Amino acid sequence: MYMTPMMLSSSLVLTLNILLYPLLTALDPTPKKPQWASTHVKTAVSTAFFISLIPLMMFLDQGTESIMINWHWMNTSTFDINISFKFDHYSLIFTPIALFVSWSILEFASWYMHSDPYMNRFFKYLLLFLVAMIVLVTANNMFQLFIGWEGVGIMSFLLIGWWYGRSDANTAALQAVLYNRVGDIGLILSMAWMATNMNSWEIQQIFFLSKDFNMTLPLLGLILAATGKSAQFGLHPWLPSAMEGPTPVSALLHSSTMVVAGIFLLIRLHPLMENNQLALTTCLCLGALTTLFTATCALTQNDIKKIVAFSTSSQLGLMMVTIGLNQPQLAFLHICTHAFFKAMLFLCSGSIIHSLNDEQDIRKMGGLHKLMPFTSSCLTIGSLALTGTPFLAGFFSKDAIIEALNTSHLNAWALALTLIATSFTAVYSFRVVFFVTMGTPRFLPLSPINENNPAVINPIKRLAWGSIIAGLIITSNFLPLKSPVMTMPFMLKLAALFVSIIGLLSAMELAAMTSKQFKTTPTLPLHNFSNMLGFFPSTIHRLMPKLNLTLGQLMATQLLDQSWLEKSGPKGIASMQIKMSTHASDPQQGMIKTYLTIFLLTSTLAILLMLL
Amino acid sequence: MPAILYFMFYASLGLGTSLTFLSSHWLTAWMGLELTTLAILPLMAQHHHPRASEATTKYLLVQASATGMLLFATILNGWVEMSWSINEMKNPYALTLAMSALALKLGLAPFHLWLPEVMQGLDLLTGLILSTWQKLAPFALLMQISQAMPPTLLTILGLSSATLAAWGGLNQTQLRKIMAYSSTAHLGWSVIILQFSPGLALMALGIYIMMTMAAFLTMKDMSSTKISTFSTSWSKSPEKMVAMILILLSLGGLPPMTGFTIKWLVLEELTKQDMYTPATLIVMAALISLYFYARLSYFTIISLFPGTTSIKTYWRQKNIKDKLILPIATTATLFLLPLMPLTLALTYFYN
Repeated sequence: MYMTPMMLSSSLVLTLNILLYPLLTALDPTPKKPQWASTHVKTAVSTAFFISLIPLMMFLDQGTESIMINWHWMNTSTFDINISFKFDHYSLIFTPIALFVSWSILEFASWYMHSDPYMNRFFKYLLLFLVAMIVLVTANNMFQLFIGWEGVGIMSFLLIGWWYGRSDANTAALQAVLYNRVGDIGLILSMAWMATNMNSWEIQQIFFLSKDFNMTLPLLGLILAATGKSAQFGLHPWLPSAMEGPTPVSALLHSSTMVVAGIFLLIRLHPLMENNQLALTTCLCLGALTTLFTATCALTQNDIKKIVAFSTSSQLGLMMVTIGLNQPQLAFLHICTHAFFKAMLFLCSGSIIHSLNDEQDIRKMGGLHKLMPFTSSCLTIGSLALTGTPFLAGFFSKDAIIEALNTSHLNAWALALTLIATSFTAVYSFRVVFFVTMGTPRFLPLSPINENNPAVINPIKRLAWGSIIAGLIITSNFLPLKSPVMTMPFMLKLAALFVSIIGLLSAMELAAMTSKQFKTTPTLPLHNFSNMLGFFPSTIHRLMPKLNLTLGQLMATQLLDQSWLEKSGPKGIASMQIKMSTHASDPQQGMIKTYLTIFLLTSTLAILLMLL
Repeated sequence: MPAILYFMFYASLGLGTSLTFLSSHWLTAWMGLELTTLAILPLMAQHHHPRASEATTKYLLVQASATGMLLFATILNGWVEMSWSINEMKNPYALTLAMSALALKLGLAPFHLWLPEVMQGLDLLTGLILSTWQKLAPFALLMQISQAMPPTLLTILGLSSATLAAWGGLNQTQLRKIMAYSSTAHLGWSVIILQFSPGLALMALGIYIMMTMAAFLTMKDMSSTKISTFSTSWSKSPEKMVAMILILLSLGGLPPMTGFTIKWLVLEELTKQDMYTPATLIVMAALISLYFYARLSYFTIISLFPGTTSIKTYWRQKNIKDKLILPIATTATLFLLPLMPLTLALTYFYN
């Protein structure tokens, strides 16, 4: 057996097993020590991270990838289902990044959730989620991917509803499950199509056979799945609602790992879509619409976590646009860099929230730059990385995407929307920074502002390093499969930067207006498109259930009860017989004349009929 | 009434029916029919009750017109065919008229309307005689002329009897009217198979007579004429009421009682003759009549209302002397199903 692939595969299996070990020991019913979360779970994740660096280095040095088929799980006569892992460059790069981000988040969570009585269970849930995510990312067949997919969905539900005493949290968890389920319809449709037409769920076989088929139907199914999981427009409201969960949950699931699962699915199965214009255009337009819509919604939000959530949604739309441009590797690059700065933004938000005694409204923060210098600096670094400031992490992926968009012969509308969304990114990021860190404080005087705990500082510090240099490291080390267009007009090259600066300047002007009063009685509309989230939740969330429930009621009462039981079934027969019985008893008048007349008439009739 | 009169009337009744059985000439057959009609009239009116008198009058009118029509039909046949013989009656018009007349005498639909009222005016024993003995003579004549009769008319008679009797019987609470409708229905079953197998028709009639006898005699012992009486008669004689439930279900044609024999064999013969639609229709009608028999059984169920255990049956039983006929009839009604081949063979002397 060759040494390098064996080391690669065994390191990655060891990673997975190290992550599984605390979960298996948790099956033992003896209660754990309160430090179990820190000593067992966090250590497991950090160890797994360091071990997963070995295969990463091997990949960077020699470009080794491997596919492992471990176990023939079950089969019908012609259809096999196996456990197989694919360690290609996508999963080899994503796994260490996910583990790194998870490590930081778990360390932060040990401070954030330290007063929670069920902290050990919280960590167990987070670890289970991480295992499911790794299973999803390393899956080589659709069945294993589906296991990971459903696993992350369930854990998202449990974690969003962590504080289940709060009805809003329960509603949000249910919303997440429902919207994900709608997307799952697409995934199961694609899986069924593949099973019946290609007789396999193994990805290699699907790629090989896809040339013979018209793949439009399964691709649309996959796009629906991505819409559900990655909160594209149409199935997006669950992501802002998911901010009901604790901040570590938002940081891990709803920024870095779970929501990118949908995009990751499309990246994995991209060779199927390369030649299908319908699928590509759908991705492009859907992504463009999502990114602009959610950026618009983010402009008027007042909850710091919701702004970051909408920003995540906007970046997911951008990833979808990239896939629509036939550039899966750029999308993957954006996933990796986005993980760093988005997780950091969430951790900074969490630190600020805890410091201000659970205050989440940015209108009640301010002037934190002097009071929490480290956190606010990292907030600023993260926001700059998000907007694509040159040579930070976000720049390498975002600018490459915008350049590819500008130089491709594609939909000008999608391009326009994406550029506008990029400028909006700058606007809302500046809004966050302005309201949180600048100006004078608007919070209560006795807020327990304290960022001196190493459990807070170290994770944010690590992620800050990542936000700064990750882009550079990743782009220097992997080989693009599609050659990027290097020559373009000057304005196109600077387009992304240009619109971001315009956005920033307009945001600064608008923010400066908050302390001035131009009209004596300013009239502000309370409900506009932006802060009602496009009126999407207001219309859809009551309308769809009402339609379905009235249809159900109609079927139960009119179709079943009335038609089958009352009119035609038992009651119908009974009423008919009663009527006939009345008719049969009516001639019984007691008059012999009647009876004898009937006799006469019937005999005459019989004779007449005989004559005919 | 003095006993000698009872002897006279019952003897005339028997003589009349026997005369009709024995005759091969239409005139003697007519004589027998008139004799039975006249003989039963005083028996009906013996209680001098206005309702009884009304029932007697109605009976006389109906039967007289029926017998008159029969005489007319036979004279027509005699004029055309030059024959007084019952067996060789061939003229189709005469046959149709004779059939209608005999149907009116028997109480088949659509000529059944007089039967419930007449039956309601009588006491139970006379009602029994009306629904059993009085059917024998006309039925004998019907059997003899059935070979040349147009089959459509017989089928229509049978089907309409079964259905109209079923629907009519649903609406009743008086037991005598229910028995009248049951008589029409069973005779419908008899008549519909008459064209294919007269022996089977005779067997159907015979089993019907057994069942009706058991029902009427039990009702006479309970002195019950309404459904509401049934619900309280369990305390007088619980054994009889248990038997009554089964007799009623036997009338409805439910296995494993004897009444099922009729339904079974008639349906088998009908399907052998490819008469599927009439078979389905007549058995659906029997289902409806089964409903009212089952309803009667339900009211007979010995179910106590909540109370103390001092509620028991009567201390003094009614006199059950000289009543051997009831056990015989009940046994025949309930337990003769395994002997079906024997019962069939006894009556299967035609084809």
